[in-house]
Amino acid sequence: MNGTLDRHDATATDEGDLDPREAARLLAQTTREAQRKFDLSSPLLSLLGAAVVLVALGAVWLSVRTQHPYKGPTAPGLVVMYGILVCWIVVVVRFRARATAGLSGRAVRQQRAEAATLVTALVAVSVFQGVLKSDGVSLSIVYGVYPLTAQLIVLGAIGAALQAGRENWPGFGVSIAIMLIAAGCAFASPRGVWLADGIGCSIAVLGFSAGQAFSRRKAQST
Amino acid sequence: MTTDALDPLIHVPARLRIIATLAALPHGDALSFTRLQEMLELTPGNLITHLRKLEDAGYLTSQKSGEGPDSRTSIALTNLGRAALDAYTETLRGLLDGL
Repeated sequence: MNGTLDRHDATATDEGDLDPREAARLLAQTTREAQRKFDLSSPLLSLLGAAVVLVALGAVWLSVRTQHPYKGPTAPGLVVMYGILVCWIVVVVRFRARATAGLSGRAVRQQRAEAATLVTALVAVSVFQGVLKSDGVSLSIVYGVYPLTAQLIVLGAIGAALQAGRENWPGFGVSIAIMLIAAGCAFASPRGVWLADGIGCSIAVLGFSAGQAFSRRKAQST
Repeated sequence: MTTDALDPLIHVPARLRIIATLAALPHGDALSFTRLQEMLELTPGNLITHLRKLEDAGYLTSQKSGEGPDSRTSIALTNLGRAALDAYTETLRGLLDGL
């Protein structure tokens, strides 16, 4: 034992006898509150995520829907999409920072490694997009089907692997759903892929949010 | 079965809350003294006394890092502490079933 806790300033007492029913209630309530405070996600955050996906991808779809031939998202469309995504990332990072404040150890190191993996994978997808462009692949692929489909498949695959490791089956399910939606929506036109992915992913995340809310309510009632 | 069967070190509101909070962390993770105090809303002196009792019993470990104002004490539940909470929960369940 490291024994770094000082003995001075001691004011605690053993607070008398505790009724077993009261002890059970206190144990359940404390466990539930602690789990909620350490939780890296919340139903509200997921609900917000569903709206962000729909609005961000919807903005790009609005900017490309009348293009013939397809040239790719316009500057205003990209500004709206990246603006919304940056705001979303800031919210998620702040939420997670609050949940992990004061924490140290294996899980925290694993989370940092997971974040590094995700960023590296998304950068690699973008680099490969540049390769496609320089090889003269059509704009429908380079700025249409490829970027969104590849990024969603990468996000889904990494998410599914991480959630399976944590045995978080609702999280695993939504990650698999995002991969399937991305693969299926790739059959839509380069214009339609933005809207189809936006609606599909938004519904999947909305379902996940509802599942999270249901689980929390169920846990509170037991 | 009576309440005497319950581990007296855990069967105290403050210590029960300390152990339950630390048990909610993934195995091998530690929590800073400041965050634990904030979560449990206990005074520093009160929390230190309860932590010391649990540490003396081998239910948790504390590790101090840094010096002066930047120093930080991290607290983690040991395997013994986790097993003690499991045993306490089982005994509590048995007691409640008998009521």
